[in-house]
Amino acid sequence: MHGRLKVKSTEEQIEAKKKDREKKLLLYNGAMSKIFLKKQDGELDQEMLLLSGEVLVVNPDVYTLWNFRKETFLELSKCLPGEQLQKLYQSELYFLEACLKKNPKSYGSWHHRCFVMDHMPDPDWKRELELCNQFLQLDERNFHCWDYRRFVVHSAKIPPEEEFEFSLRLINNNFSNYSSWHYRSKLLPILFPDATQPMGVSENALLKEYELVQNGFFTDPDDQSNWFYHRWLMGRGNQTLNINCFYVSREVNCVLVSFTQHIQIGKKTDLKLECNGQTMPGTVWLNPNRTSQPSCLWISF
Amino acid sequence: MGTSVKDIVIPSNAPKSLLLLKHADYIVSYGDKKDDYEYVMTEYLRMNGMYWGLTSLALVGHLDKMNRSEVIEFVLKCQQDCGGFSCSIGHDPHLLSTLSAIQILTLYDAVESVNTDAVVRWIKSLQQTDGSFYGDKWGEVDTRFSFCAVACLALLGRLDEINVDKAVEFVVSCMNFDGAFGCRPGSESHSGQVYCCVGMLSLAGRLHHVNADQLGWWLCERQLPSGGLNGRPEKLPDVCYSWWVLASLKIIGRLHWIDKNKLIEFILACQDEETGGFADRPGDMVDPFHTLFGLAGLSLLGDTTVKAVNPVLCMPEELLKKSKIQFQYL
Repeated sequence: MHGRLKVKSTEEQIEAKKKDREKKLLLYNGAMSKIFLKKQDGELDQEMLLLSGEVLVVNPDVYTLWNFRKETFLELSKCLPGEQLQKLYQSELYFLEACLKKNPKSYGSWHHRCFVMDHMPDPDWKRELELCNQFLQLDERNFHCWDYRRFVVHSAKIPPEEEFEFSLRLINNNFSNYSSWHYRSKLLPILFPDATQPMGVSENALLKEYELVQNGFFTDPDDQSNWFYHRWLMGRGNQTLNINCFYVSREVNCVLVSFTQHIQIGKKTDLKLECNGQTMPGTVWLNPNRTSQPSCLWISF
Repeated sequence: MGTSVKDIVIPSNAPKSLLLLKHADYIVSYGDKKDDYEYVMTEYLRMNGMYWGLTSLALVGHLDKMNRSEVIEFVLKCQQDCGGFSCSIGHDPHLLSTLSAIQILTLYDAVESVNTDAVVRWIKSLQQTDGSFYGDKWGEVDTRFSFCAVACLALLGRLDEINVDKAVEFVVSCMNFDGAFGCRPGSESHSGQVYCCVGMLSLAGRLHHVNADQLGWWLCERQLPSGGLNGRPEKLPDVCYSWWVLASLKIIGRLHWIDKNKLIEFILACQDEETGGFADRPGDMVDPFHTLFGLAGLSLLGDTTVKAVNPVLCMPEELLKKSKIQFQYL
């Protein structure tokens, strides 16, 4: 329950609301018991879609009902000819649009849409991209929709260049669109790869981004999005694995090795100790906690 | 154009002290109104709701106000043949309700009353080759489910039953340019997901994957002038982020990076003086979800009238001390 203001109401309003809720409650309970009964009897048919739809359009978070619909679709695909099945899935997409308009942040609705697109005989991916554009116009930060967009882009093999352009359009419209900056951070290594650079992105591309983000914080220096992106552009890549320091203690009869990164010796990485060209056999390496969990410091025992 | 800072102003007459007993009463009476519209319409959250309510009561020392055997009986009825738990009777099993069920049973020291082998088998079956977890058999993947799976198994003392290395690899692949985490690889950072990923890495003992300074900066920037915390940049503050953000900061050892007094002021202002309970923001409707995270946030901020809360599992610390669960903190 988010953002619901508590308001003082008159007795009349309270009474009217009570009546309205009693009515809704009756409808909900009636529909749910019918649905559960049908499920028990294995009746996965059009009526199941109708009944579960009545509840979901009001309350799209009832995840069990989305499951029942999926089961119904899988059942119906066994007997319906392709054309009819396509139509049925298409009407499911319209139904989902109604649900999403009512609640654009319902996990269940968005996941069900992925299911429909993955299962319908002839999915229209371009239309889905258009739907994403519409929903992002209503709320440019809706992360459910952004995630669905990535699913569509992946499935429809939309070129990353087009998505890069799209993210620029959003930023030009509002430079504090954090979601769009985030998207660019994922697209840059794909579009301008350079393995010699610490972040895997060519310097030229990074400089262009730098200019873009600079425009943002010159306009509004208090805007967070630009500064986080700026920090990333300026940041260094990961340090390569190396030995920082090596220490031999004659008193306690052990060797200490400090590394630039956390590693886990014994699992994937092995550490061999050689003395005068001869491998020292039976060296057991443990971290300072005497476990084999990842650590920067390893001690021979 | 940019986005102007979204924030609220705390009303001058907002509560300034903790109404401990009122919160206990609010939770108890919430569970009594089983025929209420609000109660029925949130059935899909029942198991989570019970965990939120019972943990709230445990944190204020009034768990005895609920009927233990009634609760356990309900939880047992929700275990399905596959081993997972559903949100309520008749519904389908899901990892989200399964974690709540295990947490409730742990609160009551009653884990042994369910078939734990079946739970473990079911959770194992949801792990994918890339290390991720499905929430249920329908295949939705989310780092929330990675946390649920690992937290359940840790509570059951069976963490070694899954491929922890792979599970960690997947969670790390959801790390972003800002050092924070999203739902899936490519998804934008969100405080709720940060909590799940950092908590999961703590239980797996792999917090070294986190760049604590970078992530700590992103997390502490969630604080707004009102003192409240938001979940992502340019969003409104909300009491539940007092938990997701604060617990994450605690786990990575950066809790002192926010203004504690201002946050306490914000959380206290979200209480409802008439009914008890916390809302997302001052003046909004209260619910058990925000009530738990308000209380748990205050506990992390050092309020000693609330029991100490464990930042990884959001359960009373005294209860978990008895278990052998290993928590890693930076």
